[in-house]
Amino acid sequence: MLAGHAASGYNFSVPPALSNLRLKVLFFGRLRELTGIAEESLEIRAGATLADVFDQYATRFPNLVSFRSSLVPSRNEEFAPWDSTISDGDTIAFLPPVSGG
Amino acid sequence: MLNTAIDNDRFALLHGSIDTAAIARDVRAEHDGAVVTFDGFVRNKSYGRRTLYLEYEAYEPMALAKMREIAQSIHEKFTIHRLAIVHRLGRLEVGETSVFIAVSAPHRAAAFDACRFAIDALKRTVPIWKKEFFEDGAVWADGELPPAPPSASKPAS
Repeated sequence: MLAGHAASGYNFSVPPALSNLRLKVLFFGRLRELTGIAEESLEIRAGATLADVFDQYATRFPNLVSFRSSLVPSRNEEFAPWDSTISDGDTIAFLPPVSGG
Repeated sequence: MLNTAIDNDRFALLHGSIDTAAIARDVRAEHDGAVVTFDGFVRNKSYGRRTLYLEYEAYEPMALAKMREIAQSIHEKFTIHRLAIVHRLGRLEVGETSVFIAVSAPHRAAAFDACRFAIDALKRTVPIWKKEFFEDGAVWADGELPPAPPSASKPAS
Protein backbone atom coordinates (compact mmCIF):
# COMPACT_ATOMS: atom_id res chain seq x y z
CA MET A 1 0.00 0.00 0.00
CA LEU A 2 1.10 3.54 -0.70
CA ALA A 3 0.65 4.54 2.94
CA GLY A 4 2.97 1.68 3.85
CA HIS A 5 5.69 3.01 1.56
CA ALA A 6 5.32 6.46 3.03
CA ALA A 7 5.44 5.08 6.53
CA SER A 8 8.59 3.14 5.75
CA GLY A 9 10.22 6.28 4.37
CA TYR A 10 10.47 4.70 0.93
CA ASN A 11 10.73 7.39 -1.76
CA PHE A 12 8.18 6.20 -4.27
CA SER A 13 8.84 8.34 -7.35
CA VAL A 14 6.35 8.31 -10.17
CA PRO A 15 7.70 8.90 -13.70
CA PRO A 16 6.30 12.12 -15.19
CA ALA A 17 3.19 11.44 -17.24
CA LEU A 18 3.67 11.84 -21.01
CA SER A 19 0.76 14.20 -21.22
CA ASN A 20 -0.78 15.10 -24.55
CA LEU A 21 -0.57 18.58 -26.02
CA ARG A 22 -3.72 20.53 -26.67
CA LEU A 23 -3.81 22.47 -29.92
CA LYS A 24 -6.16 24.64 -31.86
CA VAL A 25 -6.21 23.74 -35.56
CA LEU A 26 -7.62 26.06 -38.23
CA PHE A 27 -8.55 25.46 -41.86
CA PHE A 28 -9.16 28.07 -44.54
CA GLY A 29 -10.38 28.27 -48.11
CA ARG A 30 -10.46 25.01 -50.03
CA LEU A 31 -9.15 23.09 -47.02
CA ARG A 32 -11.98 24.36 -44.85
CA GLU A 33 -14.41 23.19 -47.51
CA LEU A 34 -12.68 19.83 -47.90
CA THR A 35 -12.58 19.03 -44.19
CA GLY A 36 -15.76 20.82 -43.20
CA ILE A 37 -13.75 22.23 -40.29
CA ALA A 38 -12.99 25.89 -39.67
CA GLU A 39 -11.53 25.38 -36.21
CA GLU A 40 -11.20 22.51 -33.76
CA SER A 41 -9.27 21.40 -30.71
CA LEU A 42 -6.90 18.50 -31.05
CA GLU A 43 -4.81 16.48 -28.63
CA ILE A 44 -1.57 15.01 -29.83
CA ARG A 45 1.41 13.34 -28.16
CA ALA A 46 4.20 15.50 -26.80
CA GLY A 47 7.04 15.87 -29.31
CA ALA A 48 4.75 15.89 -32.34
CA THR A 49 5.61 18.11 -35.31
CA LEU A 50 3.40 20.08 -37.67
CA ALA A 51 3.83 17.25 -40.18
CA ASP A 52 2.49 14.78 -37.60
CA VAL A 53 -0.61 16.91 -37.11
CA PHE A 54 -1.15 17.10 -40.85
CA ASP A 55 -0.73 13.31 -41.17
CA GLN A 56 -3.38 12.80 -38.53
CA TYR A 57 -5.82 14.91 -40.57
CA ALA A 58 -4.75 13.21 -43.79
CA THR A 59 -5.79 9.89 -42.23
CA ARG A 60 -9.20 11.36 -41.47
CA PHE A 61 -9.48 13.16 -44.81
CA PRO A 62 -7.48 11.23 -47.46
CA ASN A 63 -8.16 13.95 -50.05
CA LEU A 64 -5.86 16.25 -48.07
CA VAL A 65 -2.78 14.27 -49.10
CA SER A 66 -2.68 15.74 -52.62
CA PHE A 67 -2.58 19.26 -51.13
CA ARG A 68 0.44 18.62 -48.89
CA SER A 69 3.01 20.03 -51.35
CA SER A 70 1.00 23.19 -51.97
CA LEU A 71 0.51 24.19 -48.33
CA VAL A 72 2.54 26.19 -45.88
CA PRO A 73 1.90 25.47 -42.23
CA SER A 74 1.64 28.21 -39.64
CA ARG A 75 2.22 28.03 -35.93
CA ASN A 76 0.92 30.84 -33.73
CA GLU A 77 0.36 33.12 -36.73
CA GLU A 78 3.85 32.66 -38.20
CA PHE A 79 4.80 30.56 -41.20
CA ALA A 80 6.62 27.54 -39.79
CA PRO A 81 8.60 24.61 -41.18
CA TRP A 82 6.87 21.21 -41.30
CA ASP A 83 9.34 19.73 -38.84
CA SER A 84 8.82 22.31 -36.10
CA THR A 85 7.81 20.81 -32.79
CA ILE A 86 4.52 21.75 -31.25
CA SER A 87 4.04 23.25 -27.80
CA ASP A 88 0.98 22.99 -25.63
CA GLY A 89 -1.59 25.64 -26.51
CA ASP A 90 -0.29 26.29 -30.04
CA THR A 91 -2.60 27.45 -32.79
CA ILE A 92 -1.83 25.68 -36.03
CA ALA A 93 -3.09 26.13 -39.56
CA PHE A 94 -2.30 24.64 -42.95
CA LEU A 95 -2.46 27.50 -45.40
CA PRO A 96 -3.29 27.11 -49.09
CA PRO A 97 -1.58 29.41 -51.61
CA VAL A 98 -2.71 32.94 -50.77
CA SER A 99 -4.78 34.92 -53.25
CA GLY A 100 -5.54 38.28 -51.68
CA GLY A 101 -5.45 41.51 -53.62
CA MET B 1 10.94 66.00 -38.84
CA LEU B 2 9.70 63.11 -40.92
CA ASN B 3 7.97 60.52 -38.81
CA THR B 4 8.70 57.09 -40.21
CA ALA B 5 7.23 55.11 -37.33
CA ILE B 6 4.90 52.25 -38.07
CA ASP B 7 2.62 53.52 -35.26
CA ASN B 8 0.95 55.93 -37.65
CA ASP B 9 0.22 53.25 -40.22
CA ARG B 10 -3.16 51.66 -40.64
CA PHE B 11 -3.96 47.99 -41.27
CA ALA B 12 -7.51 46.77 -41.57
CA LEU B 13 -9.72 43.95 -42.75
CA LEU B 14 -13.21 45.25 -43.45
CA HIS B 15 -16.45 43.44 -44.06
CA GLY B 16 -18.03 46.50 -45.60
CA SER B 17 -17.01 48.79 -48.45
CA ILE B 18 -13.67 50.60 -48.33
CA ASP B 19 -13.75 54.40 -48.16
CA THR B 20 -10.78 54.90 -50.46
CA ALA B 21 -10.94 58.69 -50.48
CA ALA B 22 -10.84 58.88 -46.67
CA ILE B 23 -7.85 56.53 -46.48
CA ALA B 24 -5.92 58.48 -49.12
CA ARG B 25 -6.67 61.70 -47.24
CA ASP B 26 -5.74 60.31 -43.81
CA VAL B 27 -2.17 59.35 -44.78
CA ARG B 28 -1.36 62.93 -45.80
CA ALA B 29 0.52 65.42 -43.67
CA GLU B 30 1.98 68.87 -44.31
CA HIS B 31 5.53 67.62 -44.63
CA ASP B 32 4.54 65.14 -47.34
CA GLY B 33 4.76 65.93 -51.01
CA ALA B 34 3.09 62.89 -52.51
CA VAL B 35 0.53 60.19 -51.94
CA VAL B 36 0.52 57.08 -54.14
CA THR B 37 -2.46 54.74 -53.92
CA PHE B 38 -3.28 51.32 -55.29
CA ASP B 39 -6.95 50.46 -55.78
CA GLY B 40 -7.52 46.79 -56.57
CA PHE B 41 -11.10 45.99 -57.58
CA VAL B 42 -13.13 43.08 -58.86
CA ARG B 43 -12.67 42.42 -62.59
CA ASN B 44 -15.66 41.24 -64.59
CA LYS B 45 -13.91 38.18 -65.95
CA SER B 46 -11.29 35.60 -65.09
CA TYR B 47 -9.55 33.58 -67.81
CA GLY B 48 -12.36 34.39 -70.22
CA ARG B 49 -15.19 33.41 -67.85
CA ARG B 50 -17.63 36.05 -66.70
CA THR B 51 -17.27 36.67 -62.97
CA LEU B 52 -20.52 37.03 -61.01
CA TYR B 53 -18.95 37.93 -57.67
CA LEU B 54 -16.04 37.06 -55.38
CA GLU B 55 -15.77 35.95 -51.79
CA TYR B 56 -12.69 36.68 -49.72
CA GLU B 57 -11.74 35.12 -46.42
CA ALA B 58 -8.69 35.63 -44.22
CA TYR B 59 -6.85 34.21 -41.28
CA GLU B 60 -7.55 37.56 -39.71
CA PRO B 61 -5.04 37.94 -36.85
CA MET B 62 -2.25 36.52 -39.00
CA ALA B 63 -3.20 38.66 -41.99
CA LEU B 64 -2.99 41.80 -39.86
CA ALA B 65 0.35 40.65 -38.43
CA LYS B 66 1.70 40.07 -41.95
CA MET B 67 0.51 43.50 -43.09
CA ARG B 68 2.39 44.96 -40.15
CA GLU B 69 5.53 43.04 -41.17
CA ILE B 70 5.24 44.40 -44.71
CA ALA B 71 4.99 47.91 -43.28
CA GLN B 72 8.03 47.30 -41.13
CA SER B 73 10.10 46.32 -44.20
CA ILE B 74 8.77 49.30 -46.11
CA HIS B 75 9.84 51.74 -43.41
CA GLU B 76 13.29 50.14 -43.47
CA LYS B 77 13.61 50.27 -47.28
CA PHE B 78 11.91 53.50 -48.31
CA THR B 79 11.71 57.05 -46.99
CA ILE B 80 7.98 57.24 -46.56
CA HIS B 81 5.68 58.81 -44.00
CA ARG B 82 2.50 56.79 -43.58
CA LEU B 83 1.16 53.58 -45.03
CA ALA B 84 -2.38 52.24 -45.05
CA ILE B 85 -3.26 48.71 -46.16
CA VAL B 86 -6.94 47.82 -46.15
CA HIS B 87 -8.44 44.60 -47.50
CA ARG B 88 -12.09 43.76 -47.75
CA LEU B 89 -13.57 40.35 -46.85
CA GLY B 90 -16.84 38.62 -47.63
CA ARG B 91 -18.81 38.95 -50.85
CA LEU B 92 -17.72 41.57 -53.40
CA GLU B 93 -19.46 42.52 -56.61
CA VAL B 94 -17.76 43.41 -59.90
CA GLY B 95 -16.16 46.87 -59.68
CA GLU B 96 -15.92 46.96 -55.88
CA THR B 97 -12.57 47.65 -54.25
CA SER B 98 -11.05 44.56 -52.63
CA VAL B 99 -7.74 46.08 -51.56
CA PHE B 100 -6.60 49.65 -51.09
CA ILE B 101 -3.09 50.82 -50.29
CA ALA B 102 -2.02 54.42 -49.70
CA VAL B 103 1.50 55.67 -49.06
CA SER B 104 2.54 59.21 -48.25
CA ALA B 105 6.09 60.45 -48.59
CA PRO B 106 8.04 63.67 -49.01
CA HIS B 107 8.94 62.62 -52.58
CA ARG B 108 7.13 60.60 -55.22
CA ALA B 109 9.75 57.95 -55.99
CA ALA B 110 9.67 56.43 -52.52
CA ALA B 111 5.87 56.54 -52.47
CA PHE B 112 5.62 54.69 -55.82
CA ASP B 113 8.22 52.10 -54.81
CA ALA B 114 6.67 51.49 -51.41
CA CYS B 115 3.16 51.15 -52.82
CA ARG B 116 4.34 48.61 -55.40
CA PHE B 117 6.27 46.71 -52.75
CA ALA B 118 3.22 46.64 -50.48
CA ILE B 119 0.78 45.16 -53.00
CA ASP B 120 3.33 42.62 -54.30
CA ALA B 121 4.19 41.49 -50.76
CA LEU B 122 0.52 41.33 -49.80
CA LYS B 123 -0.25 39.04 -52.73
CA ARG B 124 2.64 36.77 -51.77
CA THR B 125 2.48 36.56 -47.99
CA VAL B 126 -0.81 37.75 -46.45
CA PRO B 127 -3.16 34.85 -45.66
CA ILE B 128 -6.24 35.93 -47.60
CA TRP B 129 -8.11 33.70 -50.04
CA LYS B 130 -10.38 34.52 -52.95
CA LYS B 131 -13.17 32.36 -54.32
CA GLU B 132 -14.46 33.25 -57.77
CA PHE B 133 -18.10 32.59 -58.62
CA PHE B 134 -19.08 32.06 -62.26
CA GLU B 135 -22.35 31.17 -63.95
CA ASP B 136 -21.32 27.52 -64.08
CA GLY B 137 -19.53 27.07 -60.76
CA ALA B 138 -16.95 28.46 -58.38
CA VAL B 139 -13.20 28.02 -57.86
CA TRP B 140 -10.63 29.08 -55.30
CA ALA B 141 -8.11 31.29 -57.10
CA ASP B 142 -4.73 29.66 -57.72
CA GLY B 143 -2.77 32.06 -55.56
CA GLU B 144 0.85 32.09 -54.51
CA LEU B 145 2.51 29.81 -52.01
CA PRO B 146 4.19 31.95 -49.34
CA PRO B 147 7.91 31.20 -49.03
CA ALA B 148 8.35 28.37 -46.53
CA PRO B 149 10.73 29.05 -43.68
CA PRO B 150 13.83 26.86 -43.48
CA SER B 151 13.61 23.54 -41.72
CA ALA B 152 13.73 23.68 -37.92
CA SER B 153 16.36 20.94 -37.79
CA LYS B 154 18.88 23.01 -39.75
CA PRO B 155 21.04 25.23 -37.57
CA ALA B 156 20.64 28.91 -38.33
CA SER B 157 23.53 30.18 -40.41
